[in-house]
Amino acid sequence: MLAMPDLSQPSPRPAAAVLDAASLQRLHELDPQGTNRVVERVLRTFEGSLQRLLAQAAQAAVAGDAEAARHAVHTLKSSSASVGALALSRCCSDIEQQLRTQPLAALQGLLDELQHEGQRVLQAVRDQLPD
Amino acid sequence: MSNARPTPDDPTAKPPEVLLVDDDEVNLLLTAAALRERGFNITESNGGEQALKLLADWSPDLIVLDAMMPGLDGFATCQRLRTMHGYENVPVLMLTGLDDDASITRAYQAGATDFFVKANQWSLLAGRLQYLLRASRTRLELERSQARLARAQDLARMGSFDWRRAGPQGSGGTLLLSSQGLRVLGHGVGDTVTVRSILRQVKRSERASVMRLLQSVMLHSSVLATDVPVFFRDGRHRIIHVEAEPEFNEHGHGIGYTGIVQDVTDRRVAEDRIRHLANYDSLTGLPNRRHLVWRMERAIDHARRLGHPCAFLMIDLDRFKLINDTLGHAAGDELLMEVAQRLRACVRHSEQVMENSLEAVGSRAHRSLEAVGRLGGDEFIALLPEISDERDAQRVADRILEVMRAPVLVGGQECFVTASVGIAIFPRDGNSVADLMRNSDVAMFSVKSGGKDASALYSPQLAGRGREKLELESALHKAIERDELVLHYQPMVDVRSARMVGAEALMRWQRGNALVPPGDFIPLAEESGLIVPLSEWALREAARQARIWKNSFGFDDAISVNLPSRVFERGQLVDQLHRNAMQYGIPHRMVRLEITETGLMKELQSVIPSLLQLKDINVDVAIDDFGTGYSSLAYLTTLPISELKIDRSFVRDLGVTPQSSGIVTAIIAVARSLNLRVIGEGVESLRQMEVLHRLGCSLMQGFLFSRPIPPDDLERWLEQTVLPRRAPWIGQAAELELGTVPVRAAGSRSY
Repeated sequence: MLAMPDLSQPSPRPAAAVLDAASLQRLHELDPQGTNRVVERVLRTFEGSLQRLLAQAAQAAVAGDAEAARHAVHTLKSSSASVGALALSRCCSDIEQQLRTQPLAALQGLLDELQHEGQRVLQAVRDQLPD
Repeated sequence: MSNARPTPDDPTAKPPEVLLVDDDEVNLLLTAAALRERGFNITESNGGEQALKLLADWSPDLIVLDAMMPGLDGFATCQRLRTMHGYENVPVLMLTGLDDDASITRAYQAGATDFFVKANQWSLLAGRLQYLLRASRTRLELERSQARLARAQDLARMGSFDWRRAGPQGSGGTLLLSSQGLRVLGHGVGDTVTVRSILRQVKRSERASVMRLLQSVMLHSSVLATDVPVFFRDGRHRIIHVEAEPEFNEHGHGIGYTGIVQDVTDRRVAEDRIRHLANYDSLTGLPNRRHLVWRMERAIDHARRLGHPCAFLMIDLDRFKLINDTLGHAAGDELLMEVAQRLRACVRHSEQVMENSLEAVGSRAHRSLEAVGRLGGDEFIALLPEISDERDAQRVADRILEVMRAPVLVGGQECFVTASVGIAIFPRDGNSVADLMRNSDVAMFSVKSGGKDASALYSPQLAGRGREKLELESALHKAIERDELVLHYQPMVDVRSARMVGAEALMRWQRGNALVPPGDFIPLAEESGLIVPLSEWALREAARQARIWKNSFGFDDAISVNLPSRVFERGQLVDQLHRNAMQYGIPHRMVRLEITETGLMKELQSVIPSLLQLKDINVDVAIDDFGTGYSSLAYLTTLPISELKIDRSFVRDLGVTPQSSGIVTAIIAVARSLNLRVIGEGVESLRQMEVLHRLGCSLMQGFLFSRPIPPDDLERWLEQTVLPRRAPWIGQAAELELGTVPVRAAGSRSY
């Protein structure tokens, strides 16, 4: 079941894109019968990984540690793409790109967006998981 | 989307083992799940250090590395594992970002096999892994195949080479040798080798011809296949087989050669050894019959073409068998080796001839055919492939006779051997090897019968004596060496006591399956002079048999051997009897000699000295066929003889014609008055026996008692007939009146 987008919340991106349906479908195809509970394991792993990486990114922003920030967004870029969090992935990619030419301090807007979108994805992932 | 399993080349093969390294748990989990779904066996690792630890005791078929990882990243991990033993060639796939050109370059520098952009397109990833695995398998197979080839080449002492023709100005061209090829030529892997340097390795005497061959082959762009003798730097000598095919460019011009070099020394040594064994006599090292015939055929061909004569010298040692028999086979072999050495020195003996090479080496090459060879036994042949006339051959024969006369030391003893040489000359004496060999044999044989130690040229007169007779003579000559002669024995009995008192040895010739009676060869032997060696043999054989009987049943009488007068004339007779008695450990009296009355009277003067000597050494002599000749009674009284044998013709007529009993009576009277023993020969009937006995002769010999029989049969005859007193003549003899006392007591023992 896909989570219904929450239209009451203002968002810079279309609400429907929090978790991409096609991407989730591909996840399901890895374990069509659900025997290995691959989707659940991936999402749980992602949930943990997302929380940790968001925290690392926030910490790096405060500490001004560009390398730590770059590693966090690099990792989050591909794993978020895998679970269909395409906006988050794009945001990570943007930060990674910008960091090659600009100091970390100049990217505050993008970093805020990362945290914001990250929370939205976290919620959407939790909605996907059984209690 | 239907996830068709990857299509491994072998569907029954185990799923490929893949090590997947990624620090991001989500990706690790996903990629692993995706690849497992596609038939891979995935082992997950979340970092470089952990991956290297895993690899220490487990080897996957393929490794997938995330490039960006904290700690040991993908590049460093790849670099490390490439230095680990066994991971030099394992396929490594590096996962990089899409927009990351620098990482791609770094990946290859770190030793990655390939890269793949991180994405969730699992089928593409799986396809790439399949491709890498197949490439890896192909590479492994190639490596194994190369290793096998290298090993096979090593075992075959073979290597490959590639030679490119030089440009218009260049010289020598470019030579590339495989490491095995370098080894074959005695070089190390790093050595620089050129055509020129290899030519310098070629045996000097062969260098020019090898260069000519190479030039000719290259000029015609033909196939090269040859054996080249070379020296290694350490002085070792090897034979290298070179085989190469030309290569052409698109215009059809020869651009070079590819081929192999192979060390064929061992094979060549073995081949040479085989050739030597097939063509040379193992005892003397001289060419054997087969090889000589080959040489002779070529010599005749050549002589015919160039119109010059050639000569065959048949060389036969005189009295070799005697040396062999008295000193033993080892001494005989020693003698043959020494003789071979001497003969070899008499001609320009050449070992040089290689089969089939003759035609190639010029018109004088036939001279290298000159040789002396051993036909077998004590027979040798010298081949003179070119002579100007028979005097050349005669000169070589003289030289041979000369060198043979020097004493030979064998077994610590000086021996004297001489040779008989027969010469046949092509084309005068024959047109074929067979004819020339036979005729040189005929000539050699004429020397043998004429007194040996000489040479003779073949002449048609020699053959005119009748081929059959000649062949018989030749065969008889060899009969002694071939042990074809045997002695049969006819017992002599004393009818009064019914016991054996001696035996007469009679020669038989076992020729093939036929037993030739003495009448068919003794006259021929006497005529040709062969009777001398035949008699010598018979005396030795009789002595040997006496010894055997002495051992087996206590025989203590004499074996009588018939000798022609010419043997009595020879000074060596007494020596020989001495030798025989010594050799076989018997008293001299156990071999008795018989000479015919006719023979004795004809050569009386020359025989008397021998007879006196024989008396001195206690060898008895009997006069055979007594009554048929014209004995001078005066001489008879003075001759040192001990026995008269009444000729069978008188015995045959006993009881038939009155004259015969008169003669027999007279002979017995003579014998008695001269104190000689008397024996009746040819007794075939009881009646003859009875009459003879009544006339005063109790010692007899004849078919009535036994025919001449082989020695073993004689023992059986004693056991089964004489000892059980079973024969008809024994009963008859017992009934005879025992009035007549024999002239001389027969042997004291009764058998």
